[in-house]
Amino acid sequence: MLQFVLSGVAIGSIYGLIGMALAISFYVTRIINFAQGELMMVTVMVTAELASSGYPVWLAALAGLACSCIVGILSYVIAVRPILLSNRFSFGWLVSTLGFAVIVENAAAYIWGPTSQAFPPILNGISLPIGGAVLTAQQLLAIVTAAVLAAGFEIVRRYTLFGKLGMATAADPEMASAIGANTTIVAIVAFAISAIYAGIAGLLIGPSTFANPYLGDTFGTYGFIAMMIGGGTERPIAAMFGGLLLGVCAEGANALINSQASDWFPFIVLVLILIVSPKGLFSTSNPLFRPRRVAVTRG
Amino acid sequence: MSEQPTLEINALSAGYGRFDVVRDVALSVGKGEAVALLGPNGAGKTTVLRAIMGLVKQRRGLIRIGGTDVSALPTHRIARGLAAIAPEGRRLFLDQSVEDNLLLGALHLRHDKARTQTLLASVYDLFPVLKAYRQRLSSFLSGGEQQMVAIGRMLMSDPEIMLLDEPSVALSPVAVDIVVKAMLELRKRGASLLLVEQRTDVATRVCDRLYVMTHGEIVDEMKPETIRSGGMSILNKYLG
Repeated sequence: MLQFVLSGVAIGSIYGLIGMALAISFYVTRIINFAQGELMMVTVMVTAELASSGYPVWLAALAGLACSCIVGILSYVIAVRPILLSNRFSFGWLVSTLGFAVIVENAAAYIWGPTSQAFPPILNGISLPIGGAVLTAQQLLAIVTAAVLAAGFEIVRRYTLFGKLGMATAADPEMASAIGANTTIVAIVAFAISAIYAGIAGLLIGPSTFANPYLGDTFGTYGFIAMMIGGGTERPIAAMFGGLLLGVCAEGANALINSQASDWFPFIVLVLILIVSPKGLFSTSNPLFRPRRVAVTRG
Repeated sequence: MSEQPTLEINALSAGYGRFDVVRDVALSVGKGEAVALLGPNGAGKTTVLRAIMGLVKQRRGLIRIGGTDVSALPTHRIARGLAAIAPEGRRLFLDQSVEDNLLLGALHLRHDKARTQTLLASVYDLFPVLKAYRQRLSSFLSGGEQQMVAIGRMLMSDPEIMLLDEPSVALSPVAVDIVVKAMLELRKRGASLLLVEQRTDVATRVCDRLYVMTHGEIVDEMKPETIRSGGMSILNKYLG
């Protein structure tokens, strides 16, 4: 029991990070970047390549994140912006971001070959007994990193001018530009941040999956589910809660039903949750999370 | 040669898609002057304001604010101290507090903390109720209070010209009175205003000059006195 909850939380925080990555770019631009999983894969591949050619792991990881960041910005400039410019309400980005994903994935397969390569273990070799269960230090690192990044995002969003500007752009992009915001820059920064979140998820999962150019598909899908069940379309941090729930469900299904159950069980959970709370479990469509009046401070 | 006007528009045509909503509009607002744009629904008044802010993609003609030609500038550049708008429907950032809405108005002054604080104090001085509600989510305010936030947000960017789009619409008589008094106070402080209105009484109380617009064109220009001394019938002819 404890074992699957803990490993569920560990894998869930990675789903949650990818879910948040999707949600951050969606929050500001109302675009689902279907290349998000591939942005994660870019970090994994570049890091694996540089680490195997002898660079220190931290440097390889930083370079990997930088590459994801660049590809993330490119995905906005190439696949999103031209479409929004011609019609802000069009759905052309559905196809263009998916196309961008296919191109990035196949480029990676062309460069590195379609098979898995070694990925530096980072902290995967260290085992930590917790109660009756065992967690690797890498899993613990994933949980801690996800918590820090989720909380950090929320702090920036609520308490910094840039965060407030992001909220303003999310709510009304035209009015945001009418108060002097360069909404293109805001969108590019959002895509860069979400690429970094996805890349960090890749660094956390890389030691267990190894470096494979097709990694993005699976994790992109799970990230998408995390965002949808959490309600990340409204508040990016809700995608993290969704990810944790998804992780525990998937690991629980594996442990309690059979070893293949994680392939279908989470989807049933997704459908059930969306029937009950259509915008996700932690959204305002759930009566528990309706906004309430805040206290008035006088003076 | 008189002093250069704060806002000068010449031969402006603007619209959406293949249609020009406004054609060949010329108007000016002097420094410290308040000018109204009157006209029926669909006359193109809002489009003129949106064109000044650069929010209409398709615009031709000359728009100069304080001597700067803004007709080719993107919206966010115009919004940095040249023009600011209190738009139709107020369009506050509803998921943020009153004070955050106001501070976002001063986005281009973010590195000038002292000036931002002075502007914030002047907004609270104009609308004391906003100071009491400053931590409240703007979605929980009444229509009149939201209009105050919209006007306050416009003031916060310290613009050369302030554009107000029907600030009296859908407000109670008491709230309309507060908004009118606020505009008069802004005039005392030396602000230049371009006011779009459907209510002639509001426009004549606030403004020095009125342009009448129908079907996308400016058809007349008059003084409030003309309207008060019986020009109402002329106006009614235009407004239908």
